[in-house]
Amino acid sequence: MENKEIQDRVVKVVCGVLSVDAEMVEPESNFVFDLGAESSQSIQLVAGFEEEFGVEMDNEAALSVQTVGDAVTFIAKYVN
Amino acid sequence: MSVQAPSPKAAPSGSGISRAIDAVFNPRSIAVLGVTRSPGTVPYDIFHNILTTSYTGVLYPVAPGKRSIDSVRAYRYLTDIEDDVDLAVIVFPANVCERALEHCAKKGVKAVIIISAGFREVGPEGLRREQRIKDICDANGIAMIGPNCLGVINTDPAMSLNASFARKMPAQGRIAFLSQSGALCTAVLDYALGKGIGFSKFVSFGNKAGLTEMDLLEYLRGDDQTDMILLYLEELRNGRKLIEVAQRITRGPGAKPILAIKSGRTPQGASAAASHTGSLAGEDAICEAVFREAGIIRVTSIEELFNSAIMLTYQPLPKGDSLAIVTNAGGPGVMATDAAVGSGLTIAPFAPETTAKLSAALPAAANIKNPVDVIGDARSDRYIAAMEAVLADAAVDQMLVILTPQSMTDIEGIARGVCEVHAHATKPIACSFMGACDVVGGIDILQAANIPHYILPEWACRAMADVQRVIKWRSQPAEEPQQTPADQAAAAAIIDPAPAGYLREDQALAVLKAYEFPVPAYKLCRSADEAVEFADSIGYPVVLRIVSPQIVHKFDVKGVALNLESAQAVRDAHRDMMNSVHAAVPDATIEGVIARQMVPAGHEIILGAKQDAVFGPTLMFGLGGLFVETFKDVTFALAPIGPASAMRMVKDVKAHSLLEGARGTEPADIEAICQCLLRLSRLVTDFPRIAELDINPLLVWPAGQGGAVADVRIKINGETQPK
Repeated sequence: MENKEIQDRVVKVVCGVLSVDAEMVEPESNFVFDLGAESSQSIQLVAGFEEEFGVEMDNEAALSVQTVGDAVTFIAKYVN
Repeated sequence: MSVQAPSPKAAPSGSGISRAIDAVFNPRSIAVLGVTRSPGTVPYDIFHNILTTSYTGVLYPVAPGKRSIDSVRAYRYLTDIEDDVDLAVIVFPANVCERALEHCAKKGVKAVIIISAGFREVGPEGLRREQRIKDICDANGIAMIGPNCLGVINTDPAMSLNASFARKMPAQGRIAFLSQSGALCTAVLDYALGKGIGFSKFVSFGNKAGLTEMDLLEYLRGDDQTDMILLYLEELRNGRKLIEVAQRITRGPGAKPILAIKSGRTPQGASAAASHTGSLAGEDAICEAVFREAGIIRVTSIEELFNSAIMLTYQPLPKGDSLAIVTNAGGPGVMATDAAVGSGLTIAPFAPETTAKLSAALPAAANIKNPVDVIGDARSDRYIAAMEAVLADAAVDQMLVILTPQSMTDIEGIARGVCEVHAHATKPIACSFMGACDVVGGIDILQAANIPHYILPEWACRAMADVQRVIKWRSQPAEEPQQTPADQAAAAAIIDPAPAGYLREDQALAVLKAYEFPVPAYKLCRSADEAVEFADSIGYPVVLRIVSPQIVHKFDVKGVALNLESAQAVRDAHRDMMNSVHAAVPDATIEGVIARQMVPAGHEIILGAKQDAVFGPTLMFGLGGLFVETFKDVTFALAPIGPASAMRMVKDVKAHSLLEGARGTEPADIEAICQCLLRLSRLVTDFPRIAELDINPLLVWPAGQGGAVADVRIKINGETQPK
């Protein structure tokens, strides 16, 4: 899967879980500092990514991902 | 805009830091960074507390992705706020605090409170993270409270700020509370609410990466809302600075008492504190010395802290330590008498006029001596008569009123009677209405009138004794260290070129001699003939002691021979010593023997000193033998000291009565001990390379006869010093 497609789908999940506009979401956006993710929403994000991409991720490693761009790279390892 | 690069030169100092600290307590505007919409979480509750406690400034929530929090317009970034922001309260997780602080720097924020945990208390990575945020604050002149703290409260109605996640805002009062533990703060707040105790400022300073207790104490010194400071510490990082700051607060015009709890009294407690806050918990005995020299009244529990605080806050200072007790029950009166005497108070002897007044007002069965027993059926009139009579007595400095709830006791009426007397009294009054149910109404009346109340009379006595400690401290003149005579160059000639390790015994004795300690005549002798020649010159009896870098415990290898009364005895002892030492430690390098005058027996004293990593040169004093080994009966002081501190050290050990001539023995030469302590103080202050020094024992003879150093060990640290 192309990184562009992963990124678009990541942005879609992020906007859905965090209720933010897509234009706020940049690859360098920090989930907490830039997008306002609360701790419970971090878990929802991981669950959302798993559902969106049909993968099961290492939760501890997934929760340590801090930016959108890092999430794309992290998910790419599972889907490719 | 860019964040200024960290530079030590830009660190806040002097009046600059004072202004920045003021932004912590009196901000005109606050931004809370990282607010959420989830009640019951720290990021929401802090914002909610500031919003709902009538904060008089302007409040901005910074909450990315949210339009508003509790109907207040939210901002994505701090830098999006158009107006100036004085104080930022950061509740973001630790891993984004650095970015939050960069925004604070860009915005020109004066102060930050970092509530977030996840710094030095979690290990090395956390410590590095903490250092990075400290660097940003220092470089940009930002005063920082925290991280890992509960927050700050200022009850001044002009500000009405609760920037914390405590459940309730405390009442306004004249007491400031500073705590290293956030969780303890919440318990203290709840306790104080129950007791009706108010606060001026309330600060949880957590890891104290930025502002420390010293900065906050200095600020509170000039705070006209604060009359007294309570302090909870888990670790001291700079004892000398604390002494310097606290002395300025606790002495002189406008002095404010400081009461403190320092946890980690036991080694186990210190270990728990160290793992809790991840830092250096100093030796408790040295902390005790620091507090004493700082004029800080150290207490042992939260109960004692507030018991003493309300006595100091609500009552005038007594002129002396004498106490009158008025009670309606004999047993508690006796218990209170024991507690008072045990705490160092005296039981006032009444003047004849007082006993005459009491005799006229009280029934025949009453006790008209101190403690005054007004008898179980007493009502308020009898209490009032007794209270007024004893307070009018010039020998009475303060009064304790005890009540036990008997079937005929008019508890609330008596409480009102105490209030009536208190209203025109000029001497301090405390009460103990003993019980938990029936007495509640009376206690409420007393507390509403700011009359200190204690469940137990013993607690009242302890609080009054703590007040005496404050008075005693204030009456002591500030002490200058004493420069005892010394040949510093002679000592330097030995210490400076010495490698790290123990000095040879003759060198250690020479160092002491240079500082005019009472060192008996001695010589390092390379042969039996030399030892005999020296013994002949100084006279018998003499002592021989083996000198070898490999032998520390000389007695264990028969390397000491005492009381040698002739040349032949010296020769025999020398031969036997060489044989036994060679047999015990075949590879030992024997440099000779110290031949020394045998000195008469006396009191065995231990004098010690060490360079403490946290506190610098510290001194120790104790009586030898069992007193040190079994009872750990020793006391410490930070060098340099003056004569009063030397005398205080001698009197501080429990066994000092032995030196003063207990049980018919002759008093020891305490002045000689004090002189040795002063010399030791100068020696370890002059030579920071002295890592440890033990004079054990110093033999002390009867008053006026001096003493003599019987043994000494000096350990040197660090690099040799160039000439």
